[in-house]
Amino acid sequence: MKIKRPGQAQKMQPPMTPMIDCVFNLLIFFILTPAFSLSEGYLTTNLPKESGPVAGREQKLVQRIKIELYNVGRSGEFEDGAKNEFVSIVFNETQNLGANFDALRAALDEKRGQGLAANTPVLISPTMGCLHKWVVRAFDAAVSARFTDIQFAVPYQ
Amino acid sequence: MKIAKPKGLGTVSVNMTPMIDMVFNLLIFFILTSQFAQLETEEVVLPLSTTATTKDYTEFRNVVINIVNKDGAGEIIVFRRPFTPQELTEHLVELNSKVSEEGRQMNVILRADADVPYEDVARVMLAAGKAEIRGWWITTEIEKRDDARLGGR
Repeated sequence: MKIKRPGQAQKMQPPMTPMIDCVFNLLIFFILTPAFSLSEGYLTTNLPKESGPVAGREQKLVQRIKIELYNVGRSGEFEDGAKNEFVSIVFNETQNLGANFDALRAALDEKRGQGLAANTPVLISPTMGCLHKWVVRAFDAAVSARFTDIQFAVPYQ
Repeated sequence: MKIAKPKGLGTVSVNMTPMIDMVFNLLIFFILTSQFAQLETEEVVLPLSTTATTKDYTEFRNVVINIVNKDGAGEIIVFRRPFTPQELTEHLVELNSKVSEEGRQMNVILRADADVPYEDVARVMLAAGKAEIRGWWITTEIEKRDDARLGGR
């Protein structure tokens, strides 16, 4: 029989397997969870300082660009790539751009090319039934054309 | 002459110490850098935007207003609780007065579903306007500029 001598202490070895299991699980969790918030961004703007009726207040006549959005139902064109969504863009009350947001951007670029200042107000005016994503697309086009003063109108019938 | 017998493979032991070091380093890195989805955000399909950027929102006092798509209509949800536009106005007025006392600026972070009607967004906008909140941040999904759908613009 082999008798252990006192003083010849065995090496202490903590059980590594469960610890490694836990650590790997935690690692996978932390690798996978942050992916949810990575692709989000913000379009920043400010709401107007004055709200409510403006009767009696001095009105300034300034040049501005107006983008109207209409939900034209099934009679309209498809928005690029999306299905069953119908929008019609009217630029500056004269040009009908159909559902083409790239054309809107080109029209805004052209205005900038004509020497319109970056702080010229751009009013996005969606009518009833317009979807939030169309307004964001119009906002996008205005920001792409480097306009800085972008305003929103409250929808009307 | 003594010939060494082939010993066979025996047990192969992997050196665990450097691997555990690396795993711990990675673990600490991911714990510190990850941003969790916060309690105040609801699950919505965000609209796409090519010009949206990630921004530091910590310098403002933010209120996250979700507009979720409920059968084509927008439902306002703030911190897991549904609000009517009237209730939202009162809530924002109260919040903004508290934040103004602290000398900070109030900011609305809007998380509206891409397919909600814009009039529902406008109601929230009016509520924020009545509460005299100026900061209006629209949360979007960042779309790559080289997307083929946009013709590589």
